[in-house]
Amino acid sequence: MRVLVCLKQILDPDVPARDFQIDPDARAARRGGANLVTNIFCENAVETALQFREAAGGDVKITALCYGESSAEDCLRKAMAMTVDEACLVERDGNTNPDAAAVGRVLAAAIRRLEQDGGAFDAVLVGRESGDWGVGQTGGVLAEELGRPALGFVESLQPGNGSVTLRRQTDVGIEVAEAEPPFLVTITNNEDNVPRIPKTRDVMMSYRKPLQKLSLADLELDSEEIRAGSSIFEVEEIFIPADEVECELAEGDTLEERVDQLATRIHEVVASIG
Amino acid sequence: MFRVGGTVPVMDPTQATREVFWNIEYTWLVYVLMVPTLAVFGWGFWLKIRRWRSGQPALRFDRPGERLQLFLRNAVGQGRTIKRRYAGLFHTLVYTGFIVLFLATTVVAIHHDTPLHIMKGHFYLIFQSLIVDIFGLFVLVGVALAAIRRWISKPKLLVYTDEASWILVTIFVMALTGFMIEGWRIAVTDDPWAAWSPIGNLFALGSDPWMTDTAMQRGHVIIWWFHLVVAFGWIAWVPFSKMSHVFTAPLNIFTANLDGYGGSLKTIDFETAERFGINHLGDFTWKDLLDFDACTECGRCTDVCPANTVGKSLSPRDIILDLQGLMHKRGDEFLGSRAGNGNGDGGNGSGELLPIIDQKTAVSPEALFACTTCAACMEACPVHIEQMPKIVDARRYLVMEEADFPEGMMDMMNSLESRQHPFAGTQFSRVDWTEGLDIDVMAEMDDPHEAEVLMWVGCGGALVERNRNTVRATAKLLKKAGVKFAILGREESCTGDPARRVGNEFLFEMLAKGNVETMERYGVRKVVTSCPHCFNSFRNEYPHFGGSYEVYHHTQFLDQLLESGRLDGNGAGGRSNGSSTITFHDPCYLGRHNGEYDAPRNLLAQVGGARQVEMERSRNTSFCCGGGGGMAFVDEPPDQRVNQERAQEAVDTGADVVAVGCPFCATMLDDGVNARRGDRDVQVRDVAELLWDAVGDSEEAAP
Ligand code: SF4
Ligand code: SF4
Repeated sequence: MRVLVCLKQILDPDVPARDFQIDPDARAARRGGANLVTNIFCENAVETALQFREAAGGDVKITALCYGESSAEDCLRKAMAMTVDEACLVERDGNTNPDAAAVGRVLAAAIRRLEQDGGAFDAVLVGRESGDWGVGQTGGVLAEELGRPALGFVESLQPGNGSVTLRRQTDVGIEVAEAEPPFLVTITNNEDNVPRIPKTRDVMMSYRKPLQKLSLADLELDSEEIRAGSSIFEVEEIFIPADEVECELAEGDTLEERVDQLATRIHEVVASIG
Repeated sequence: MFRVGGTVPVMDPTQATREVFWNIEYTWLVYVLMVPTLAVFGWGFWLKIRRWRSGQPALRFDRPGERLQLFLRNAVGQGRTIKRRYAGLFHTLVYTGFIVLFLATTVVAIHHDTPLHIMKGHFYLIFQSLIVDIFGLFVLVGVALAAIRRWISKPKLLVYTDEASWILVTIFVMALTGFMIEGWRIAVTDDPWAAWSPIGNLFALGSDPWMTDTAMQRGHVIIWWFHLVVAFGWIAWVPFSKMSHVFTAPLNIFTANLDGYGGSLKTIDFETAERFGINHLGDFTWKDLLDFDACTECGRCTDVCPANTVGKSLSPRDIILDLQGLMHKRGDEFLGSRAGNGNGDGGNGSGELLPIIDQKTAVSPEALFACTTCAACMEACPVHIEQMPKIVDARRYLVMEEADFPEGMMDMMNSLESRQHPFAGTQFSRVDWTEGLDIDVMAEMDDPHEAEVLMWVGCGGALVERNRNTVRATAKLLKKAGVKFAILGREESCTGDPARRVGNEFLFEMLAKGNVETMERYGVRKVVTSCPHCFNSFRNEYPHFGGSYEVYHHTQFLDQLLESGRLDGNGAGGRSNGSSTITFHDPCYLGRHNGEYDAPRNLLAQVGGARQVEMERSRNTSFCCGGGGGMAFVDEPPDQRVNQERAQEAVDTGADVVAVGCPFCATMLDDGVNARRGDRDVQVRDVAELLWDAVGDSEEAAP
């Protein structure tokens, strides 16, 4: 079986508030002193794939794929340290924040290329959403591009007889589904797919595993549109919302008066917000 | 005093002596018996030595002068053993008794078996009779005191084995029978020099009224042979019992680590190592294996261990003893694993190595990960066994080979890897604390070499809210003294101490190399830091990675500034901050690991109107705050918190300020003191904060 996991490198969402800065002209966050990390849901996806391989008894080859800058190689190395078998980086030049449509097209092209070389992927795993923009569309768009059935918010994959058993989180509980490959799932987190810390030996080995690099030209996608990276929507303005706290004390001589006053003010404020 | 009825002999003390082998026939049998005795003795030690030699190499015969000094102080002089009053007393009695009795036996042998007849005259009377009798009594009394402790008062720190009891019994019997045969010889021969052997004479006087000479003479022969057999048996038994410490302990002390606890972790060559960390006896160095055999089972290490004190399963004594047991049980089997860290699959042909980490023994992952690496155990051990580095060796195996460690440590390591600091979720950047202080950042200086010293802020100082005051105070004091200093700002990474203590040597090495590179770029030569962990890494560990600096803990540096007059102190006349009593908590990595106890106390003397009190466990016997070894990142069970144990001790001194010199101690003790101070107002403050309050610019007293 072949499993593909898509990864995204993002600005560290844990960056201290004061280090988080916006570049209003570029309409994006500034790198500043922040670190770059793998999006957490993507790491959950890697962990889910690894657990699937362990449950299946090993005959599963896992590939990690990323569309990003050259720094994203770190994310792929880390995935390989977690014992993903091979990796592929599609180097992005141009827009630093391509939208889901652009990303979906690039990933789909890369997947087709990888499948040409090594056989079809039975399962494609994509993180539920990214920790930077949080749009949550890449999985869906990619499934559409690939023409494969998709299921969202999956938390685990279990090997079955010729099929795969999926557990997915819904508002009302856990839904269990049987899926015939090939398919695509978006992965969410639960307590069982916390990304593992790699063993040191595997970290060292990760530098010996194959990491393929492709350019947009290699994928015949070197168009203005892909480079611009936005076709679904355009970011008009980006800003850090100002947190304003207004404090008002309920007044009155007795407790009762104060409670009355408080209740009245709550009514007024709620009414004013609408 | 002469026996009643005896004839008064001619008293010429220069002729005084006694007959060796009086009343004994078949004396050749003694020599015959001696052969198997010495053979077994030699074989026993040969087995040991062979086992030790199968360990990995370690350089422990260098610097012979220093080694000899240590040997004289702590082996011959029993420097550490006597630190416990009761055990020190009885051990000294038995130990000195044995030495004197051994010398006496040697004198007899020389006198009898060589042409040198030295056992006569004043020497015979004073040494061979009087002194030997007194020291023989020492042995009896010492063993009795030990027996009272082992059988009656039964302290928790001892290991209660039959072997230990039999050792006491055997030694007691040897000494007692010695006096019996001496006494009966005196009685039967009417020894004119009886008074010089007071204890033997007492036996003589005691037996005389109710025993005939013939009975005594017959008793003498029987007991004499019994004494000989027991003594020979005991000698043969020595290498197989904990009595072997008579030889292993001095050797262990001679080959002890001379570099202080702060530098006691080994580096790993990741290019060539077959395994990372240790899970097999054969991967230990010969010195580690010798350590296992040198343990006297005294229990002092476990007694002072903070984790053990609060009820955790960690017991350094049992780790050493379980590994010793494993080593003995496996006999020579593990010799096959010699290849160890270097090459081959090891394991005596079977290809299988017996793991040392075992849930069912004292070397369980749970115990290993409870260690704060405080080194209290190493400081307490009378024979200089190195428990903590072995614990870290085993942790390395768990972390690097198995990726198995407690949850809190996982977040910490994740953060170290992706953010180069261990405080996941911190709200601060590395430079936030400098706001309003106008502090130079090396990368922004025209000439970074202008900075006289690098102020290494440390993650704990910059990123943890309560410690930002400490680094602000330090910076302000440096400014006030006119020191030209700069920081690395965002270019600073964790020194790697938490990674190293937890066992992630690989991560430590990466961080260390990165920092060395950055500091190289700015030509840093001198470093001052308010974190003892960073201090220790720079001082003892970075030299292995090409980073050699002149390193100061902020208390040392400030102390020097005061001393040299660069910083204006006011003697004890500094401003009062309202506190009346201050107690200082020695950080393990400043005190025990690096030997600095006075600098912080000197600074505290500047605080006006306050007196210093010491906690019971202070200076080299200080009790860990619970935060070392990565433990600051682990949630301890509420009833097993080391910080609360320590906080209680601090609160009990009655002090209203608990002074600290480490960002980890500060947060750990803050929590602890808040839980234990009751209604009293007790504050935890860094020495630098207190010093700034006392001698800083008054308009801005509180930083
Ligand atoms: S270093 Fe400290 S915590 Fe660790 S075993 Fe020794 S005494 Fe216990
Ligand atoms: S390791 Fe040292 S302190 Fe601990 S029991 Fe053995 S001899 Fe005593």
